[in-house]
Amino acid sequence: MEPIDQPIEALAPTLRAGNLSSVELTEAALERIRTRDEALKSFVAVNENAIAAARSVDRELRSGLWRGPLHGVPIGVKDNYFTADMPTTAGSRAPGVGFPLVDSAAASRLRAAGAIFIGKTRTHEFAWGPICPPTRNPWDLSRIPGGSSGGSGAAVAGGLCVAALGTDTGGSIRIPASLCGLVGLKPTFGRVSRAGIVPHSWSLDHAGPMTRTVADCAAMMSVLAGYDSEDPACRHEPVPDYARALDQSIVGLTIGVCRNHFFGRNQAAVESAVETALADLSAAGAAIVEFQLPNLDYGLGAIYAIELASSAAYHDRALQTGRTAHYANDVRTLVEIGRFVTAADYVKAEQVRHILMTDLARAFESVDVIIGPTLPLTAWSPDVESVEIGAVAESPLAASWRLSYLYNLTGLPAMSLPCGFDSDGLPIGLHIAGKPYDEMTVFRVAHAYERDRPWRDARATLAPRLN
Amino acid sequence: MDSAPDLPSEALLRELIGIGPEGDRLRENLAAYRVILEEIRKLRTLEVSDIHPAIVFDPTLSYRGR
Repeated sequence: MEPIDQPIEALAPTLRAGNLSSVELTEAALERIRTRDEALKSFVAVNENAIAAARSVDRELRSGLWRGPLHGVPIGVKDNYFTADMPTTAGSRAPGVGFPLVDSAAASRLRAAGAIFIGKTRTHEFAWGPICPPTRNPWDLSRIPGGSSGGSGAAVAGGLCVAALGTDTGGSIRIPASLCGLVGLKPTFGRVSRAGIVPHSWSLDHAGPMTRTVADCAAMMSVLAGYDSEDPACRHEPVPDYARALDQSIVGLTIGVCRNHFFGRNQAAVESAVETALADLSAAGAAIVEFQLPNLDYGLGAIYAIELASSAAYHDRALQTGRTAHYANDVRTLVEIGRFVTAADYVKAEQVRHILMTDLARAFESVDVIIGPTLPLTAWSPDVESVEIGAVAESPLAASWRLSYLYNLTGLPAMSLPCGFDSDGLPIGLHIAGKPYDEMTVFRVAHAYERDRPWRDARATLAPRLN
Repeated sequence: MDSAPDLPSEALLRELIGIGPEGDRLRENLAAYRVILEEIRKLRTLEVSDIHPAIVFDPTLSYRGR
């Protein structure tokens, strides 16, 4: 395996020992972008300063200064995070849309840890929606990578960078992670600062990493997590050493499986892969407890009301002045229909949110994590308007966030990690959710599961389809 | 003789929602919202007057970091 295809956990000791330079790794990433991104369309900007930054890092490493596992590693940054050395567009070409050339809190933390920003990854305009046109899926270029962090998903899975940043308002980290065969974590609301990220819906937005392995995700989180007074959601919660969760036994842990809503309406391959994963975790010593959650029928209405109303408020002046006419038509429609949500609907959605949080808190009294599928389906073609899921025809867009948005409403940490492939060779995601600020247990279960899976080192090569 | 109540005019609807998409676009938006309204209608059936909204006002927020 070439170095650029390796995870951070393998690269870090090699870089630290001087057996590989950050310049070599960064040049390999840039070469991959040159040769593969015409097909993938995962980047909207490449950092002209990347090689200079890598040279600087190499000098530090040669002098014995080691900033941690990310030191010298090329990272992709979703185009809704502000960056000081690359413009931010939030996927919009509308006139009057512009953002400052400063580092977001997350970019600042990664830069201080020695990460090399290789470029800005594509997002659907203003991170709206679970797709990311025209980006393609590295496992099958005729399919979508999911969204809205689809550029980050395609870039990491396609070997164009080693890890990336995403944002998640209804599933936008976990959906592309699942469809692209990656690990993606939406941390607890308040765990990672959103300061310097273009808002989509203030109480639903989360920032987090997309990586090749669970250990890489832990390495990214160790840098990203922490209090920031610039984000009103951030709390003074101690940040544990996430690496300590790895290699811990899961004997004695209890895994909850919510049998309503999350099962019974999935593609057969997805349902089968998740059931197999649960059996594997049980065999590894975890207890499995099945339960049902009431009130989930109200969740979709609640997130629609909150997300649409918040987005309409954010874009209100653009709406009033007609600038939204320059937005992509689907985004313009979503922003405009946010005006139809009444104030009472919005507040009632916040009441339902409280009910769902309480329901989950009750479930977590007897389980340590809740596991299910991340999505009910694998990656679909962009021209498909309807898919058969559990013998019911459904829009793939509507289906795509059905299993993920609950954890945005409730703010709980939730991770997607690969749990196999369907018969077309497309990745399937396993969804692990935890208690507030208990990412440690999510990492512990995820790593115990990932450790012995045969697809841990599988990579999408794109090669046959590129030629 | 009873007469049917007047439906709100397009102009009144535009006034209520505070933006002014015209004719076809307003109708397209209303059509797009129909599927979402089905979900929001479920919220409206709930009696939740004893439930505090999830978002809690915090008067100390602006004093953080000072």
